[in-house]
Amino acid sequence: MSMPRVGIVSTSMTQLRPAWDSAQHIDLISAVVLDVFKGTGLTLDDVDFIIDSGSDVLDGRSISNCGFLGALGAHHKEEARVEEDGLWAALYGVNKIRAGSSSVGLIVAYSKPSESRDIDLYWGSMVEPFYQRPVGFGQKAALGMQAQRYFAAHGIDGKDAAALVARRWAAAAEGGQVAIDAVPDSDAVLASAEAAAPLTDLMISRPVDGAVAMLLSTEDIAARLGRAPAIITGMGTSMETHAFSARSANQLESVAKAAAMAGAKAGWKPSEADVAEVSASSAVGELLVLEGLGLAGAGKGLDAAMSDKVNRSGGALPADPLMATGLVRLAEAYKQLSQPHAGANAPRRAVVHGTGGVAMQTNCVFTLEV
Amino acid sequence: MFAAPETHPHDLPTFHSQISMPYTLTPGRAAGTFLAEMPNRRIVGSRFPDGTVIAPAQDFSPVDGEEPEALVQAPETGVLTAFTRVNGDVIGLVRLDGCANEFPHRILADLDVLSVGQRVAAQWSDGDEGTSITAIKGFALAPDAPEGKVIDLADPAEPLGVINYSMSLDFDHAYGPYYGRMFDEIREHGRVMGVRVSNGDDALLPPREVDDVTHKRTGTWKACGNTGTIRGCSIINMEILGQARKPPYVYAEIVLDGASTRMIHVIDIDDLESAKEKIRPGTRVRAIWTDGERQGRVSDIDRFEVIEE
Repeated sequence: MSMPRVGIVSTSMTQLRPAWDSAQHIDLISAVVLDVFKGTGLTLDDVDFIIDSGSDVLDGRSISNCGFLGALGAHHKEEARVEEDGLWAALYGVNKIRAGSSSVGLIVAYSKPSESRDIDLYWGSMVEPFYQRPVGFGQKAALGMQAQRYFAAHGIDGKDAAALVARRWAAAAEGGQVAIDAVPDSDAVLASAEAAAPLTDLMISRPVDGAVAMLLSTEDIAARLGRAPAIITGMGTSMETHAFSARSANQLESVAKAAAMAGAKAGWKPSEADVAEVSASSAVGELLVLEGLGLAGAGKGLDAAMSDKVNRSGGALPADPLMATGLVRLAEAYKQLSQPHAGANAPRRAVVHGTGGVAMQTNCVFTLEV
Repeated sequence: MFAAPETHPHDLPTFHSQISMPYTLTPGRAAGTFLAEMPNRRIVGSRFPDGTVIAPAQDFSPVDGEEPEALVQAPETGVLTAFTRVNGDVIGLVRLDGCANEFPHRILADLDVLSVGQRVAAQWSDGDEGTSITAIKGFALAPDAPEGKVIDLADPAEPLGVINYSMSLDFDHAYGPYYGRMFDEIREHGRVMGVRVSNGDDALLPPREVDDVTHKRTGTWKACGNTGTIRGCSIINMEILGQARKPPYVYAEIVLDGASTRMIHVIDIDDLESAKEKIRPGTRVRAIWTDGERQGRVSDIDRFEVIEE
């Protein structure tokens, strides 16, 4: 028995803002869940299951999805929560449809990091309490050391990282999905406050609020509903050891493993993609992802990062809705592939990446094709 | 892109809440011994069957899950393998002499004099840090420090059993347009308002944009009654963490007149026996509002009282 292929039918996203202080989680969630059906011909009645992604710690309540079920459209439906980045929620949904038990799934990811007074405490909750928390080790320290090692190993410096960050913010501003008061240039990135030397504040991804919803279905349904169904042809996940200091320096092996897994299923390598939408917790983190995907050799991530095919949306550096970022990347890649393009140069293949944990411990890679 | 609703009926600031959780953490044998040895100024590591040593001590290898064969005493000297500065504090990774791993700790030097490979040595805190890893104040540059050696751990201290710990997180929750107006109405007018379900006249409390059951947009605003009916209740006669009032009292789920959903509140009682007699599903109750200035909170209703027939 062959398993059905799974495609993306539609997506909906709120604007990504530093603070959605006029809306609750449920306001953001119900906005995208209402909107995602527009133009598809489907309604909530057609949805077999709902998978949502978010963080109880960020939400400030335990099993927070229980309070969001109504907004999710999950009343008396099969619903499951993934306490991981939204790309894992999509992975769960794809597998449910491929397994044959369902035809249409609704995937939702959301984030309101603005409600946490000190976002470093959220990250601190992820590290070990006996040896790591008391000495001040957390997300920022890990990203700083990751960057210090990368700079030293590959002869790049803050100016290179700043140029990448400025490029990403400019792209995000052009895309219009991200609330941006002023686009920082390289000098402004370098001049922003020190976050974790050698990284400045703007070299670390900016937490933002927002929600994203996505309808997935079997290929035959997607082909009848969507304008140009984009098929998810490969998926892979892998994770680093929790002990940051025990990970290999200057590489994210788990990205390479996840990419190999996804590429083997798709039958092509991520380096052959026309479009790449990748997540990252810092500018150096993005370079490590691009190298892990095979888009660049070791230490050459910057070359790939400056290519027009990588993070046209701006990526995660200007807008990182923690726990939703990977699903936003998938939605952005879908948009880039499904918009009508003329000619033989239209993008046909995308590679998408999501990440989670301290210093990008967990990684997930999708391949998407039209 | 779709913008979420952004009407501004409310003038309340965000709602502050705090989750403060007490924990008793169990460090296990390895970390428990390491921490117990901190006042003795000994750094405890784990030695695995293949001879590899890691420090601080772990009950399992973080890489492959192997169990160590013995706890050992690691030297106080090593090399710096990575470094950064966060909030003015320099943090680095240190590999102690004779050890295969690295671990994060404070580095007691200016960032700009640091380079990977420098020799470092532990500095012990002058104060009493108890059984915390911060008994090691940090690692200072020690260019001439001789190579230290891993030795057997003589007469190890008893591992700590449990460690009292607490974590506290502060949130500023947005009210959003619907909760915002509900709390505005509570504060300004002392009334509880909901929005009508998408297909009827009863009101949802708390109000929301989308009807949970039908997932259609909800209807117009409606003031609910000051009276209602108990639909579920429990007499609380034990003290638990986070309680807002002293037991005994009744936790009740009350459907206000005109509403379709249950509101959680409390009913004061004089004694358990009469409460058992009087308070049950179907009992009619009335909201008793606080005498003081209303704050725009559910607690502006002080309690509910049984309506005597």
